[in-house]
Amino acid sequence: MNKQNAGEFTPFSPSLQANVETIRHRFGGSTDIVIRMFRSDAAPDREVAIIYVDGIVDSETINESVMEPLMSMKLPPHAYVKGGKLLEALRSCVVSIGSVQEIQNLEQALQYMTDGLCVIMADGSAAALTADVNGGEYRGVTIPQTQTVIRGPQHGFVENVRTNISLVRRIIRSSDLHIQMHKIGRQTHTNVAVLYLNGIADDGIVKEVYRRLAAIDIDGVLESGYIEEFIQDETFTLFPTLMNTERPDTIAAALLEGRVAVMVDGSPIALMAPTTFFTFFQSPEDYYQRFDIASFVRIIRYGAYVVSILLPALYIAVTTYHQEMLPTTLLISLAAQREGIPFPCLVEALLMELTFEVLREAGLRMPRAIGPAISIVGALVLGQSAVQAGIVSAGMVIIVSFTAISNFVMPEFNMAATSRIIRFLFMIMAGIFGFFGIFISVLLMLIHLVSLRSFGVPYMSPMAPGPTRQGPWRDVFVRLPWWAIVLRPMDLNLRNPKRRPNGKKPPAQRHSDKA
Amino acid sequence: MQQIGKNQLSILIIVFMIGSTPLFELGIKAKQDAWLAMTVAAVAGLLLTFMYVHIQKRAPGAELAELLTMHFGRWIGGFIAVLYVIWFSYESMRNVRDVGELTTMALLTSTPKWIVMLLILTAGAYTVSKGLEVFVRVVQLLFPIALLSYAFIVLLLLITRLPKLTQLLPILENGITPVLTAAFPDVLGFPFGQMVIFLVFWKHVSEKKIIGRASYWSYIGVSIFLIFMNVVVLCVLGPELAAITALPLLEVVQMIRLANILERLDVIVTLLLYIGLYVKMTALYMAAVFTLKAVLGIAYRLCVLPIGLVIYGTAFLEPNNTYHLWIGLDITLKIVPVFQILLPLLLLIVGMRKKYKQAK
Repeated sequence: MNKQNAGEFTPFSPSLQANVETIRHRFGGSTDIVIRMFRSDAAPDREVAIIYVDGIVDSETINESVMEPLMSMKLPPHAYVKGGKLLEALRSCVVSIGSVQEIQNLEQALQYMTDGLCVIMADGSAAALTADVNGGEYRGVTIPQTQTVIRGPQHGFVENVRTNISLVRRIIRSSDLHIQMHKIGRQTHTNVAVLYLNGIADDGIVKEVYRRLAAIDIDGVLESGYIEEFIQDETFTLFPTLMNTERPDTIAAALLEGRVAVMVDGSPIALMAPTTFFTFFQSPEDYYQRFDIASFVRIIRYGAYVVSILLPALYIAVTTYHQEMLPTTLLISLAAQREGIPFPCLVEALLMELTFEVLREAGLRMPRAIGPAISIVGALVLGQSAVQAGIVSAGMVIIVSFTAISNFVMPEFNMAATSRIIRFLFMIMAGIFGFFGIFISVLLMLIHLVSLRSFGVPYMSPMAPGPTRQGPWRDVFVRLPWWAIVLRPMDLNLRNPKRRPNGKKPPAQRHSDKA
Repeated sequence: MQQIGKNQLSILIIVFMIGSTPLFELGIKAKQDAWLAMTVAAVAGLLLTFMYVHIQKRAPGAELAELLTMHFGRWIGGFIAVLYVIWFSYESMRNVRDVGELTTMALLTSTPKWIVMLLILTAGAYTVSKGLEVFVRVVQLLFPIALLSYAFIVLLLLITRLPKLTQLLPILENGITPVLTAAFPDVLGFPFGQMVIFLVFWKHVSEKKIIGRASYWSYIGVSIFLIFMNVVVLCVLGPELAAITALPLLEVVQMIRLANILERLDVIVTLLLYIGLYVKMTALYMAAVFTLKAVLGIAYRLCVLPIGLVIYGTAFLEPNNTYHLWIGLDITLKIVPVFQILLPLLLLIVGMRKKYKQAK
């Protein structure tokens, strides 16, 4: 999308020298602009220039497919007569590149150059050709760093949006996979790609994604997080309403479910919308492992999420207000541990949780070489030594550690991050009002959750509101075998809701012993 | 306009009717025939429900306030609608006060009541401000929790073999009279007659044709459940003990002792209590707001805060719990038939001879 108005366009001058000078001037004489001017034998009357930005083009392609044919060009006699349309002849007979197009003004030329295309101009033509010679140094496709699976494809997105699109194209080999490119960012002109499966994704949602993307006006987009904050439905919520992934197979699965994917050049993290609360509990591996294992692990995950939100709060409530809930022996041993502790339970818990959060952030940000030091110190502040020093009780260390571990079970980092913040609110409410405080905070959380929407889809569907069709339950809390999942999961007005004709297993040929 | 679906209506009826009802042993004045009193009241309540649905069917697109003005004219109808607003707010206030009393009695003995009531009312006001759709979705989330908790309690009771059916004998020891006096008006007024509140919500159901069927079936289902829970409590505690305890279900659950682990399940009862009171409080609060909005013709969000403040303020009027229970059990139950039976009956009779245009 070009933000510039039509009035601002500068047409090319017929003089090649003037054009080249303007381009050089516009780039402020930057040293990475390469301008190569020459005359070839076929058209000695016309000077030709090749202009590109060094480093973001593939020099081999330039040399072999642009430079070489142009220098030694032998135009067939009918293609070019003296003073005729040289550019047209070059396009049809010389430049051996797949994507070549003609442009009419200077701004386009500048834009294409910064996109990694090379511009070919000829003296006497008020137009130019661009050839796609995009290339240069990129990180290669590697194993995803943040979302690992044991079974499943092992390649992840990279920083180049074209590579990322190609990774998805290789999974969904269908002409129904539609991809639209947008340019967002006044300065960065970042390529933002929207992917959806035509005929499966809801048209209204696709249009809404386009509408929200078109409304973004910012100087630069460096990561998909920028886009996420612009297009999400609700800003002031702790819960993410867009999912992100660096796995092509996850994006492919989302597209098949009727979601829309948004990829941003320069970031290996792609976005998916709409999302519901329950999709954050689905790991790609759930669909590759056997369904029984997958279902078991998924239930564990829901449990772990509840633990990571509620466990410290429950511990505080029980030890501060409702001691009678505990079995007597456990109560005595906990009370004995807390005997020398100077702080109330809430302060103790906040202290430990904050220590853990600091430790965790330190582990993320520190240089690799300091790693061992962190683990040694971490074990001191969050372990036996803290207990021996009489600052915290052993029970609290167990609680905080188990909460932390539970938090790491979540397959989606941004959903796991919400529980880190909510936990503190719950702890404070539990410290003041005990179980009643926990009840009120959970209730407020539920009210907030059901009022959220992601691109028009209620966040808690198919639980609340319940499903309007049969079947979405087959892939929410458990995952049934693949042959039983007939419908796509979202409760949308899908034109094409069925993934399979029926929920029956294809019959297998049985080999009996007698035969 | 926010709309709710057929299943959502059913779930709302079920959870609203359950409310906090199973925690109390209703109709215990009839001793071991309390469950018969429940049954009689439930049948009478079904008749009332028929009547309410019949009134609603005359103008499916109208809610209580609109029905009243349609039948009694602008001024009398409006006046009666305001009476309903007061009654809904009052009933909502009773639930708020219940939460305050129970929390300070059972969980937080030294926490002041005003903050407890403020918190629960905040949750209610937050829900009401988000609208009916969000409220029904919250109820949908709470429904499985309540269902599983009740199922768990009943299962444990059966495993520990606490219920004894002989507690129900002899049936009809003193004839039918004690059963009827227990059933009317007390048990009919709470909970069965409270179905009248759906005159406010039926308008918002997307499929108008099924409101009758969905309401009857969920009403019958939830009545059977309530009678069943009544029988269970009666079978465990016996009529004498059930009559003197404040929260019989809590007493029942405290009797469960299994394998040294499953003890002290009071927290489940407390949770059920809070869920029930929250749903009732919010539904009544919302009904008051809907009705006031329709009477005064002002924006919905403008009604939320004033009604909330009125509910919060009036929750302090009763000096103590004894007074609260006395007003609730003796005075209120004598007045509610006006709203549950008399006024709807008037609507029915006045409407017999009128012809109705489809209300928009």
